[in-house]
Amino acid sequence: MIVGFDKVSLSYGDDRQVLQDLSFTLNDGEFRFLTGPSGAGKTSLLKMIYLGHKPSGGRLTLFGEDVTNAPREALPPLRRRIGVVFQEFRLLDHLTAFENVALPLRVAGVNHSQYREDVRELLNWVGLGDRVDAYPATLSGGEKQRVALARALVSKPDLILADEPTGNVDPSMGEKIMKLFVELNRLGSAVIVATHDLHLVKALGKPALTIQNGTLVPADYSGFVSTPGSAKASASVGRTKGVSPTSSIRPPTNQRPR
Amino acid sequence: MSDTPTTGGATPIEPVVHPGPASGSAASSGSKRRLFSGFRQQPLLPEAGAAGAPLTAVLAVISSLAALALAAFVVIANAAADWTAELDASLTVQVKGVDQEEIAARTDIAVDVLRATPGIEDVTVTASPEAAKLLEPWLGKGNADSLNVPALIEIRGSQDLRENLNDLEARLDAASPGLILDDHGDWNRRLTSAARSGQALAFGIFALIMGAASAIAIFAARAGLAANAEIVALLHLVGATDDYIAAQVQRRFFIIGLRGAFVGLLIAIFAIGLLALAARARGATEFFLPSIEFSLDLILPMLIVPLAVCLATAVTARLTVLRSLRRQY
Repeated sequence: MIVGFDKVSLSYGDDRQVLQDLSFTLNDGEFRFLTGPSGAGKTSLLKMIYLGHKPSGGRLTLFGEDVTNAPREALPPLRRRIGVVFQEFRLLDHLTAFENVALPLRVAGVNHSQYREDVRELLNWVGLGDRVDAYPATLSGGEKQRVALARALVSKPDLILADEPTGNVDPSMGEKIMKLFVELNRLGSAVIVATHDLHLVKALGKPALTIQNGTLVPADYSGFVSTPGSAKASASVGRTKGVSPTSSIRPPTNQRPR
Repeated sequence: MSDTPTTGGATPIEPVVHPGPASGSAASSGSKRRLFSGFRQQPLLPEAGAAGAPLTAVLAVISSLAALALAAFVVIANAAADWTAELDASLTVQVKGVDQEEIAARTDIAVDVLRATPGIEDVTVTASPEAAKLLEPWLGKGNADSLNVPALIEIRGSQDLRENLNDLEARLDAASPGLILDDHGDWNRRLTSAARSGQALAFGIFALIMGAASAIAIFAARAGLAANAEIVALLHLVGATDDYIAAQVQRRFFIIGLRGAFVGLLIAIFAIGLLALAARARGATEFFLPSIEFSLDLILPMLIVPLAVCLATAVTARLTVLRSLRRQY
């Protein structure tokens, strides 16, 4: 089990209950959409999964570990197994595209010479091979999006979270990004994509969690919660990636002859 | 700016990337660029915020004061050592009498006794009229002549002699009345204690200044963290440990501390240089005014200052950051 929510609730500050009694699980290799109207609490839910906010109630399990009351020191290793594409990108303005993408590896103490190739390859792969040394201020919205994407993937996370990854790009780019997540999922990572674009959800035919007014609600269309078919499919693909973050980036090396 | 990159001509974000000459050229231009980028990594916490130039300036001022305090400590220590060494090496016999003749006669007796004492290497007599002249600056010309000022006999002797002062005193007493042996102990002790107080004061000032440097580092580290809160939050989310973030801050403060401290040290050395020049221009190393010499003895201890300031600021910054990070999730 990658993510387990057991009656998890979240409130910010005083009494403003944002999420109530959420229970669901995300298994190895599973793909889930997270849908719901704006302000329903999609971002808050993701925030708890990427350990950006402590749940105020219930039990949260990550990679089989109960993290509800985990000590601070236990969190960084877990966070390194999660790649997040933030809605507002959260790139560091004083670092180049290269340095932004390399950040998770640098923070994990990986030597610069070990990840240089991988990061460049990844940037090439997202079509930013010629913007390696560009600063975020000079990048367009779509380019920032792709830098953020590359940063989320660079450490080959076991779990990929994306918050409205198609919000800042045109529909065709949005479709490509979605296909990319499906592809990454096929290669072994569990994926949760938050979006309010139901067309995309339907088009990809992946199961979805729908959140409304802070609680999970049944979907209003078919193929909603964790269909057995998708779980079987992901299980048969299995986990193909290596353990070391220093081996070359998975998708390009798997896909491209060198 | 276009979303579609020109490199390779391939559609971006396509899981299947088409190999070809175009992507090959992209790789080679990449390797060329690699030669120039990446040697020096950008610091993760940018220069902005409370740290930087103002902090460097404050630390420079503080360091110069600390260096001067330390210099005062060294100068006083040296001067005290000079004084006590001089006094330790000599003894004085005062010869008293009702008139000049008696003083002169007793002086002769005393000199004979001293010359016969083993361990005495040198005896210098300052007769009563000469001793009176020494008092002229205080009493006025001629005023001391009628006072029958005691004659002074300065003795330089071995260490044995100092240890057996009672023997010598007894022999002098037996030879003649009016002979008083003075080992400068009183004077010596007073000088030493005065010097010690001076040193303690100088060191206290040095310690206070270091405390001020640490306090400033606390404020600056907090302000820096607050200014970089977004970045710190992101670093956490991509898996940075508290230690890693604290090390980033610590490194920056160490560098700022080093920069400020060296500027401060140069200011202090310049100030001491001026003092030394002024002292030389006055022409004399006057008694009680310790001589300031522009020497390695003085400069070397001052090199402690940049080290101490760096450590104080870096360690304080680290602890401050760790403490405030522990409050976050």
